[in-house]
Amino acid sequence: MSAPSVTKAARDDTARPSGPRRREITTGFVVTRIAVLGVAAALLLYALPPLVADESWPAVVVVCLATAAIAALYLTRRFVPAKYLIPGTVFLLAFQVFPVLYTMSTALTNFGDGHRGGKQEAIAAIETASLRQVPGSPEYALTAALKGDELVFLLVDTKTKQVQAGTEEGLSPVDGAKLSLTGKVLEAPGYTVLTTAQAAARGKEITGLAVPTSGGAIKANGLSRAVESRAALAYDASCDCIQGEGGPWRADESRGYFVNDKGEHLAQGWQVNVGLANFTRVVTDPTISGHFLAVFAWNLVFATGSVLSTFALGMAVALALHHPRMRGTKIYRIVIVLPYAMPAFAMLLVWRDMFNRDFGLINSLTGLNLDWLGEPTTARMAVLLVNLWLGFPYMFLVTTGALQAIPREMTEAAGIDGASPWQAFRRVTLPLLLVALAPLLISSFAFNFNNFNAIQLTTGGGPFDVDNTQVGKTDLLITYTFRLAFGTGSAQFGFAAAISVFIFALVATISAIGFRMTRKQEEVYR
Amino acid sequence: MRIRALAALASVAFAATACGGSAETPSATQTQAAPAASTPAAGGGKLVIWSEGAKRTAALKPFAEQFGKENGVTVEIKEIADNPQQTFVTASQQGSGPDVMVGAHDWIGNMVQNGAVEPVNLTEEQKAALNPVALKAVTFNGQVYGAPYAVENLALIRNTTLAPDTPATFDEVVAKGAELKKAGKVKEILCLQVSQRGDAYHAYPLFASAGGALFGTTAGGDPDPKQVLIGGGDSVKAWGKLGELGKQGVLKASITPENSIATFADGKCAFLVSGPWAMNDVRKAGFSYDISPIPPFEGGKPATPFVGVQAFFVAAKGQNKVLAQEFVTNYVTNTEVAKALYQADPRPPALTAALEEVKASDPDAVKFLDAGKDGLPMPAIPEMAAIWEPFGIAEVSVIKGGDPAKAAKAAQDAVEKSLRK
Amino acid sequence: MKLALRHVFVLVVCAFALFPIVFVVSAALNPLGTLASSDLIPDGASLDNVAKLLSSEAYPFGRWFLNSIGVALAASFTSLLLSLLAAYAFSRMRFKGRRTGLMSLLLIQMFPQFLAIVTIFMIFTRVTELYPAFGFDSVSGLMILYMGGALGASTWLMKGFLDTVPKELDESATVDGATHAQIFWRIILPLVTPILAVTGLLAFIGYMNEFILASVFLRDPEAKTLAVGMFGMLSGDARNTNFGMFAVGTLITAIPTVGVFMWLQKYIVSGLTAGAVKG
Repeated sequence: MSAPSVTKAARDDTARPSGPRRREITTGFVVTRIAVLGVAAALLLYALPPLVADESWPAVVVVCLATAAIAALYLTRRFVPAKYLIPGTVFLLAFQVFPVLYTMSTALTNFGDGHRGGKQEAIAAIETASLRQVPGSPEYALTAALKGDELVFLLVDTKTKQVQAGTEEGLSPVDGAKLSLTGKVLEAPGYTVLTTAQAAARGKEITGLAVPTSGGAIKANGLSRAVESRAALAYDASCDCIQGEGGPWRADESRGYFVNDKGEHLAQGWQVNVGLANFTRVVTDPTISGHFLAVFAWNLVFATGSVLSTFALGMAVALALHHPRMRGTKIYRIVIVLPYAMPAFAMLLVWRDMFNRDFGLINSLTGLNLDWLGEPTTARMAVLLVNLWLGFPYMFLVTTGALQAIPREMTEAAGIDGASPWQAFRRVTLPLLLVALAPLLISSFAFNFNNFNAIQLTTGGGPFDVDNTQVGKTDLLITYTFRLAFGTGSAQFGFAAAISVFIFALVATISAIGFRMTRKQEEVYR
Repeated sequence: MRIRALAALASVAFAATACGGSAETPSATQTQAAPAASTPAAGGGKLVIWSEGAKRTAALKPFAEQFGKENGVTVEIKEIADNPQQTFVTASQQGSGPDVMVGAHDWIGNMVQNGAVEPVNLTEEQKAALNPVALKAVTFNGQVYGAPYAVENLALIRNTTLAPDTPATFDEVVAKGAELKKAGKVKEILCLQVSQRGDAYHAYPLFASAGGALFGTTAGGDPDPKQVLIGGGDSVKAWGKLGELGKQGVLKASITPENSIATFADGKCAFLVSGPWAMNDVRKAGFSYDISPIPPFEGGKPATPFVGVQAFFVAAKGQNKVLAQEFVTNYVTNTEVAKALYQADPRPPALTAALEEVKASDPDAVKFLDAGKDGLPMPAIPEMAAIWEPFGIAEVSVIKGGDPAKAAKAAQDAVEKSLRK
Repeated sequence: MKLALRHVFVLVVCAFALFPIVFVVSAALNPLGTLASSDLIPDGASLDNVAKLLSSEAYPFGRWFLNSIGVALAASFTSLLLSLLAAYAFSRMRFKGRRTGLMSLLLIQMFPQFLAIVTIFMIFTRVTELYPAFGFDSVSGLMILYMGGALGASTWLMKGFLDTVPKELDESATVDGATHAQIFWRIILPLVTPILAVTGLLAFIGYMNEFILASVFLRDPEAKTLAVGMFGMLSGDARNTNFGMFAVGTLITAIPTVGVFMWLQKYIVSGLTAGAVKG
């Protein structure tokens, strides 16, 4: 029996030269190689020009090398697995691996609200934020104009109607200017007045122009006004500090703040390296380490419970429908898939409202008066039930798919051998199903272990003990992390990254153990 | 094989068109050097506005377009669905933020510490035209950080068919509500949203009336994050009071944002504590109603609601700051924009002139403003963010019968801890 | 098992599956527009909410609907191809780093997405500058971003399925001189139709419902997908959301998925592999 002839597709394939030998150069081989080169060339043509224009030479080198490597990979006959892995892996590296590594690297910094950018950005923000209008300075109507090629502010004092020209050198009087009713300059000898659109196009230049005055500087405030203002705070490089109101504020490189003698700091800080401080905080903070085990234990229960319950129910339905004389399977399948077809976040909110004590459907239908999401036990049951509802159609689908791969003869044979249906299921169907589904159960476990939405949108981690606002009874490690790092409104990315690294290590270990156990199953069909 | 060849052809074609497309778009380094060249019709300027909420975005659109036409620039208005403030700060930091941001004034503290917004310069006349509370709310560290357009705060909305008299104290509200409930006329004594996670914003007026406080005040009268009072002696009493209300069934964790307004509109409770955003539904319900300030407890302090202000901000890292300033300081501060935004979402305008015009057709706006007259502008300090969650959790704890002293201490610890970080 | 018993069991599960959905339908018909009702039967039934949603100026619902279907179809098709290629290698070939590779794929998925948003902004700010065609607010950009998750989402699923296809098939083909590419395209691919259908459907549903990345990416009201737009209905300026419209939106979102399922159903249960084993 020759295998390639078993399928229709292969049988139809009469055009293919029969049995090409290993080193033979076929038309297909040539065409694909040309195609590979074409794609590589096209990618280069598209990707390179902007990089060159931007003078990002390292990126140019990386792109060229990567394209060359990929082209080479598909030109040779070697490295077969890589040929199949590369297309997805390129995207994976760029949009998953890189973000993860980058985020992890922030675990060593104080990255977060107030410490997002560099020191220079903080200084710029501090200086701009301290700009105050000079008391008693006149109100200026602004008209942007050109003198030759140079941008000039034509400034009209709204009270005296006196017109002056402002440049980087300072103010100078302008004679013979015509003013509009609104006080803007219509024309002035020696100057080309810019229309609003022309001025808008030069937005950056206009923002950049500061006309020095004795009291400070005149800057544009929009396109039609200018304001004389002065910075109350200014950076002084000689002392690495900010001089001015309340200061001097000295740079504290360990905290990423400008600090004064009273111990106060300016609001705008910058990102600094804090070494392992975030990690030590995870380990030493009693609110974290003290509750870790309890949260972790529930997290395990939640993940395992979700996987087992969804799998059991999904598989049971799939098996029930997997019968040659079963009627109405099409309709049943559609109904069963519906929970999965609805947007999950919307249905989580619907479930939350159905569990409401006084307004919820569940109490009103069952006649109970339970505070479902308000009591630890019922809240845990509720989230597991909701997750079962959300997840079992998925298991149903994959089991249905996997069942098709099991030859019906095998189960029938078991039946003829006198095995009960249950025994046939245990000894034949289930092991075969698990070949296909064991890896899936592991990845489902991993997904549910971190199922942020399922908790955040229903209980929000609650209920909470009266004397502990930090850890709720349905909190998963991930929702708990979220509360610690973002719950206080201001994001602490560095800290969150540190906790994530811990969770990461934990799940990696658990999954690795589970993975090891599937090794045997993988070889069942071999 | 065929598929690969096809894919290759497709990629080449795609790359070719994409190259053609990108050639017309100046790269980042060229934008400054060659303005006006890329899109001559529009004059080369582009203003990007980010807003939250589809209704507001839709209401702003015609004005944004008009501004674009008048100034010969293109204006893009975008709606940020998920967590707009954090998205704005993150995007700004990375250099892909907008030029103008629309949002709540209590974002200011966090936006300032991240250097994401710049002060705006309003003329004296412009300042004088604004509701002073609104102006105060957008003032942070002595600087004005945005152009306010609407003011919002909680008030007591009453079904006058069920409860004709304006209650003078909160105890009267409870008594009347309980009486109606006993008579079977209503299902709930009071519709004040709590939910399982608590709701500090809605609970604060009662907390304040019972003597509770969040922060001490600085010499200048601003909230002082160094003195956290949420678990202090007076606050413990206030927590106790909230606990009593919980015992009486006045405050319930089962009343949530999803059902409080709907229950009131359905006539199933006589009193609703909510804001202007509830009015679309309340009016639709068709019964007569009245809006009054939230009354204090008998012998208690005033039940001050938080006052929130919606404002336009100039992004510090925007690509076109001059246009942004022009738009925020000179354009949206007019009555037409304020009125259009009011039509889309009935929060009282911050511009006195716009309020006067709205008042003629709609007395509710003024009643809400009255209710917030002595309100506390929501502290814009970044530290305020540390309050919400611990406050909410403590609220639910005491309502469900938890010990107020323990709840107060837990909240105090949690707030102090997150401020110490 | 008796057929009748099977029906009873499946009917019970169907009731469980439908219960919350009936509630959503009731909210969609309820003119008061509230999810907070404790009754399954609304006070009055009307199609007001449907009309309001479809005619709403603030919510260009029709556009969202089309955007979603377009993005989900394109993304699920491409990701299916990418992950099938990878799964084939993981299932059929033995190479150094295979198990590590599989394990890493799983672990990468575990990283909290809300932390990665910052990096995504970092990457795409640069991309927007250099290649505007793939920048923010472009569907093509969102697509390539989705492809980053393609391997993680379905490789494991497909690998498990591919493991059940007897290896003798490709071995004998190899003996006949077929190249690995020929085996993949001509032999494996036709055999795994049910798997492709299941995985494709799951991917389609996943992309239909994805909103974290899409909400960062698509900001033009007209460019949004259903999930982003609907999420915006909840979190927007209107603190009192119209749940009636939201419920209608939720139901409509399910329509394309059900459609795709009905289309794929025959492939899912076609049992091609079962026949092939005998061949």
